[in-house]
Amino acid sequence: MSLKVSLLLDGQLAPGEVKATLEGTAADGLLRDRYTLYGLVGDALRGNSTPDDGFSARIFERMQREGARIEPGYDPFKTRG
Amino acid sequence: MAETDRDTELVRLAQAGDAKAFQALVVKYQRRIARHVARYVRNSGDVEDVVQETFIRAYRGLASFRGDSAFYSWLYRIATNTALSHLKRQSNDVLLGDDAPDERAEAFEPGVSDRDNPERALIAKQVADVVQRALGKLQPELAEALMLYEVEGKQYAEIAGMLDIPIGTVRTRIFRAREFIAKRLEPVLDSQRNRRW
Repeated sequence: MSLKVSLLLDGQLAPGEVKATLEGTAADGLLRDRYTLYGLVGDALRGNSTPDDGFSARIFERMQREGARIEPGYDPFKTRG
Repeated sequence: MAETDRDTELVRLAQAGDAKAFQALVVKYQRRIARHVARYVRNSGDVEDVVQETFIRAYRGLASFRGDSAFYSWLYRIATNTALSHLKRQSNDVLLGDDAPDERAEAFEPGVSDRDNPERALIAKQVADVVQRALGKLQPELAEALMLYEVEGKQYAEIAGMLDIPIGTVRTRIFRAREFIAKRLEPVLDSQRNRRW
């Protein structure tokens, strides 16, 4: 399964495999760690080795707190709103 | 979708309302976006705030992403826009003289410092050291495939052609290389396990 996590990160899975792999990864702490670590390996090789240290989790928390949702017509390039 | 976009399927799922797909994109790109934002915003707390706002804007505007460019390019442009808006707000605050204008003006200098987060800086250095040491111990053919993909930016099919190996072998070499390095990173990052995605 870790191989599939590596392929998920790289967008190398067949379209039909992505959802199941994503769900399997999200449901398994060890696989979630693998997804994070594989990403860190690549970034570190490119000179950016800052660990996640909850950074992503705080993004999700803020999204939840602010009730972020997909809004048809919303322009992400607008200064405000 | 752009032909070379590696995120096509994750984006499609996220647009269809799959929150996990968007979370996977956040985990994948947060570090790169943070580094980009840090070119504009000096204070690491402000960098985090701008990165959060970038992903929130991207999520809210996901329906408008048509795949004319790669998802990361779109996200990068949102981050640029958000960072510039942040600087503009700071500039307005300074002009209004709300507080400590000299210190606020310092924030316009490009670059970011981890002076206010020494723990993060220390772990980042440890990670860099471990990755470099592990790379030196990897079987050369695994290291070569990983470097071609991660550093040279080659696609799997290109690597297969360059090394004259089947694409399935490229998949397993990159995976085995990552796994070898990841195992050596685990002890460094164990204390952060509960704080990760």
